Amino acid sequence: MTDDYEHYEAVVVGAGPGGAAAAATLARNDIETLVLERGTDAGSKNVSGGLVYAEESSPYTIDDLFPDFREEATDRAVSEHYIHNVAGRSVKTFDLHDLHHHDTEWADAVLRRKMDSWLARRVHEMTRETGGGLLTEVRVNGLLREGGEIVGVTCDEVDPIRADVIIGADGVNSELARDAGLMDWEEPEEWFQGVKAVVDMPEGAIEERFGVDEGEGVAHLFSGDLFEGARGGGFLYTNDQSLSVGTVFHLDSIAEERHEPQELLDNLLTHPLLADWVGDEYTELEYSAKLVPDSKKVAHPSPHRDRLLLVGDAAGQMQAQGPIIKGMNHAVTAGALAAEAFVDAKSRGDTDKAGQHYESKLETEGVMDKLRPTRYATLGKLGELGPVDSLSDALVDSPVGRLGVGLLGDSLERLYNSPFLVGMLPDTKLGYVTLPTVIAEELGEPVAGENTVEPPELDDRIGDLTYDIDEGNPHIELRDNSFTASGTAVTACPVSAKDFGGGCYRDEYVTANGGEEHVVSLDTQPCVECGTCAVVADTDWTHPRGGKGVEYKQG
Amino acid sequence: MVEIDPTELEIAELGPKITDVDDADELREMLAREEDGEDRAPVTTLIEDRIETVEGDDGEADPESVDLSELTVADIANMVRDIDDIDVLEDLLEREKAGEDRKTAKSQIESRMESVEGSDDEDGDGPEYVPPEEKHPDLDHPTADKQWVEGTQDGDYRDMWVYCETQHGELIDVSREMLGKGRELMDDYNDQYDESEDLVAVLIGDDVADLAEEVIAFGADKVLYHEDDRLDRFRHNPYTEIMTHMARAGGQLAPEGYEDVDWKAYDEPRYTVFPATNNGRDLSALVQGELDSGLASDCSGLYIENAMISNPAKTGVPGDSKEFERILHMKRPDFSGFEYSTILCIDKPFRDFHPQGASVIPGSFEVPEPDDEREGEVVEHDMDLDDEWFAVDVVDYDTLDSGVDLTGHDVVVAMGRGIGRSPTEGIELGLELVEAFDDAAFGLSRGVITSSYSFDGHVEQYIGEDRQIGESGQVVEPDVYIAAGISGAIQHKVGMDESDTIIAVNTDPDADIRDFSDYYIQGDLFEVLPRLTRAVEEGDLAAAVAGASDD
Ligand SMILES: Cc1cc2nc3c(=O)[nH]c(=O)nc-3n(C[C@H](O)[C@H](O)[C@H](O)COP(=O)(O)OP(=O)(O)OC[C@H]3O[C@@H](n4cnc5c(N)ncnc54)[C@H](O)[C@@H]3O)c2cc1C
Ligand SMILES: Cc1cc2nc3c(=O)[nH]c(=O)nc-3n(C[C@H](O)[C@H](O)[C@H](O)COP(=O)(O)OP(=O)(O)OC[C@H]3O[C@@H](n4cnc5c(N)ncnc54)[C@H](O)[C@@H]3O)c2cc1C
Ligand code: SF4
Repeated sequence: MTDDYEHYEAVVVGAGPGGAAAAATLARNDIETLVLERGTDAGSKNVSGGLVYAEESSPYTIDDLFPDFREEATDRAVSEHYIHNVAGRSVKTFDLHDLHHHDTEWADAVLRRKMDSWLARRVHEMTRETGGGLLTEVRVNGLLREGGEIVGVTCDEVDPIRADVIIGADGVNSELARDAGLMDWEEPEEWFQGVKAVVDMPEGAIEERFGVDEGEGVAHLFSGDLFEGARGGGFLYTNDQSLSVGTVFHLDSIAEERHEPQELLDNLLTHPLLADWVGDEYTELEYSAKLVPDSKKVAHPSPHRDRLLLVGDAAGQMQAQGPIIKGMNHAVTAGALAAEAFVDAKSRGDTDKAGQHYESKLETEGVMDKLRPTRYATLGKLGELGPVDSLSDALVDSPVGRLGVGLLGDSLERLYNSPFLVGMLPDTKLGYVTLPTVIAEELGEPVAGENTVEPPELDDRIGDLTYDIDEGNPHIELRDNSFTASGTAVTACPVSAKDFGGGCYRDEYVTANGGEEHVVSLDTQPCVECGTCAVVADTDWTHPRGGKGVEYKQG
Repeated sequence: MVEIDPTELEIAELGPKITDVDDADELREMLAREEDGEDRAPVTTLIEDRIETVEGDDGEADPESVDLSELTVADIANMVRDIDDIDVLEDLLEREKAGEDRKTAKSQIESRMESVEGSDDEDGDGPEYVPPEEKHPDLDHPTADKQWVEGTQDGDYRDMWVYCETQHGELIDVSREMLGKGRELMDDYNDQYDESEDLVAVLIGDDVADLAEEVIAFGADKVLYHEDDRLDRFRHNPYTEIMTHMARAGGQLAPEGYEDVDWKAYDEPRYTVFPATNNGRDLSALVQGELDSGLASDCSGLYIENAMISNPAKTGVPGDSKEFERILHMKRPDFSGFEYSTILCIDKPFRDFHPQGASVIPGSFEVPEPDDEREGEVVEHDMDLDDEWFAVDVVDYDTLDSGVDLTGHDVVVAMGRGIGRSPTEGIELGLELVEAFDDAAFGLSRGVITSSYSFDGHVEQYIGEDRQIGESGQVVEPDVYIAAGISGAIQHKVGMDESDTIIAVNTDPDADIRDFSDYYIQGDLFEVLPRLTRAVEEGDLAAAVAGASDD
């Protein structure tokens, strides 16, 4: 019976940057490749900040694999990068020039719908030549096993498919990684949550307000006391005709302190520093959210099992290099290396070795060291006193410490620009909140702007999104609806909020068995599939069927 | 000397690099090195492939622009094999004559021209017709005596016919979709072939004449309808008889008395399109069988084009290609849904395959914008329906998915999450208000349906998605809509804001629903609803509402 299943040499699950890079590399080497993507169009499910980096030290960059990539799929080329330390109205800005340009060939701002759908068209053309192709609206729902060994994938829409190699490029909350036992979704410390608004800009406004030339862009990052103590920061990137303004926080910080992610985003959008950039006419094109893995903690040292090779977010390969977020470039590198590993294994006549080859390529090509720097393991985690930590809480809070900050002055800028140092920053409030706040207080200048932006309420943000509802087929089910088990999702879910009846998670009191119980109810219709509740609540969490659910137009 | 030495590289490194090498000789040398060295099979294949691509490049040269003097006669022979267009071949011949003028090259081109054109050679020795019973005496021929299956030969075919299925006296969406697609196809067809053929809609039922206008608005030029009380629901026997009768009227195989009709003057329709619904699948198979043609079932794409065919069963002469004109290309997914096949239904010698018929998966095409100004011809079809065709009677039927119909009532009372403090009581109060009216329905916001409220048994039956009002529920427009404890989310609003009078009860002075309510009673629904119920019973709702409203 199983012999009847359709067979391809390679099946790639997911058409984000990781999947596209893998498929393109496989196709170039004449491997018969089928790509499966659950979105109605590649990119319709994806969110990033986002700056795509091409690293000089990387064995593959995305424009190596897709020659016209920069002309066709990206927005502005970004060469200026700043971080703003904020305390109230006081702001101290550091130029991140050196960190931005360290090992950087180029960096472009992207919107994922445009980028991924362009990549997908190229990938389809290339893979079709090999006898495969790219199919959208197909969701892989599990791994096909024979005799306990992974040999293919099963899908909601089509019959199971066998393959000699399966590239799991299905992003954060990878159902394949979980099925294979390579990744669990238990610990909030292991993830970031990213939330973003794409803001429309009138013609010429970006050039004028940011002082850049046409086609050129700029990146701004924000930290300090803007975010009610949540550990993380904000970003603003210039696209061709819009801004991407967003926040990225450690999920445990969002969960424990019951932050409302949409309000933290609004804090940024309404800060006076942004007044001149955003302008008076605020038009939000899209609100979006997605989890991001923290490679320091979860980048899998051996991301393969049997014929399954995981790449990109699915393997936890998302690097937060201090305040700079690098996921797409690593997904590309890993995708191409995984494909290369299979080609090598095939040429040596033993395709079962693909996983081992892939693992050693990640090491020898230096990918693993970027993702899980050994110095973080030894220094950061233990919170040992490195040069940065010597400005410990006590110092910062004492007048002497503040004096230190004042004296260090602009040499702090150099600290921020050291990839070595930012790579080992511990995940404490110190780096994200306290230090930037003190820097702003001691060294900053007040900003003058009057910010008049009124960001939309959640119900309007949801109302502006496009959904294809899978009536009667909720893709998330609550395993335990008690508030204790799942209540965190009411606040942490980016489309839910306390006292808001229109979100996914609502807290309710019901009378049962004579007593009153505090519970949550769930409606998956407004869900943007970010993955947060898979980690912070007790759920059976899957993605919607192919083509169903939210459809991002910007991404 | 070669630039890339394969023996020093992994195949993965070689793959991308080799695409930069365009020189076949260099590639051959690389191949030789590999063969002398490790001789890795995938590497040699890779290089051989590349050699083929590099050399094949010339072979794939565009015949319309290629410099013939650069090609060998063998190259020309290979190239012309793929050319079906006689004009291109003629041009090639002229260019060869003007250039090298090689005899062998010319004869290659000429012989290709002959086989492309050959089929038009009417006086050639075509095949001779041998009836299947004689040709294969060893087989039994169960269809030989199927007298009622009558085929046509060299027939005259025109128009595209669309069978428009109805339900409960209304067109179903796929009928509109087919009309839209049919309109598009026939406009292009008439353009391309300089014809003026029609899109004909076929309506069969007990009360379908009224739909003629709508069918025209969606694109039909002509409507053929047949009405009879006995046709109230689909029964395949009479429906098939009627449609076949229509298709044959006025042609070679016209039934007696219908040889001349003023609405049709050809043998059979050129194309027929049916919906791939349960009934449509049934009818399409029977009608196409009856008309002795084929059917491409469950299609998702249609277009009309000429087709070059070399199958001798169709052309009659082995080795020749023939161009068949005006072929309906019917695209359908295979069973996995992965791949598409395009099905062509083409005449063959001594037997026509017309109408070219397809059934279409609902949702494959857009519902077009109706154009109420469009004009068309409406024809009532008449024929006697044999009682025997109705021998199978429908004695009982169920309407699936009856659900709850909230439309068509004077009043709708809808409850939202404002009942949260005491959900069962909230529902009871709503139901009491419904009762007080003569004709009211009871609806809910989605917020209630997806809540975890525990309802007591007697009201539980009222909680379900079949009562949801809004974007993903029902759309209602009663005279009076009473929304109690509903915030007025946009997805709820689209289901009710066409109501004549909207009365909202809400504790929040600024709930969104206030913006589109006529009366806004700011208050606790647990107190307000009983008062409204009393007012209705006493017959002065209007006064009570006007008095309580803050708007
Ligand atoms: C707010 C935010 C800001 C970010 N900023 C940046 C930045 O500035 N620079 C940067 O480099 N990175 C950034 N990232 C991270 C970056 O977006 C990811 O690391 C990157 O997208 C990972 O690529 P991927 O190919 O592994 O997965 P994805 O891009 O997530 O692609 C996975 C694909 O698989 C599909 N899929 C998932 N499950 C299935 C299934 N079961 N069946 C079929 N298909 C499936 C999805 O629809 C999707 O198309 C940011 C992320 C966020 C959320
Ligand atoms: C894709 C999609 C499709 C959707 N489709 C639908 C749909 O078809 N239909 C639909 O209804 N929703 C739909 N929704 C959900 C919709 O967005 C709202 O979440 C839902 O309508 C909210 O229900 P509600 O008004 O009852 O609850 P809430 O928004 O919580 O409002 C409750 C209201 O009750 C008031 N209130 C509280 N206590 C009292 C009291 N004691 N007396 C009086 N008032 C009180 C509050 O002030 C509040 O205004 C959809 C959502 C999405 C994302
Ligand atoms: S329901 Fe879960 S997955 Fe969906 S948006 Fe909310 S937190 Fe994200």
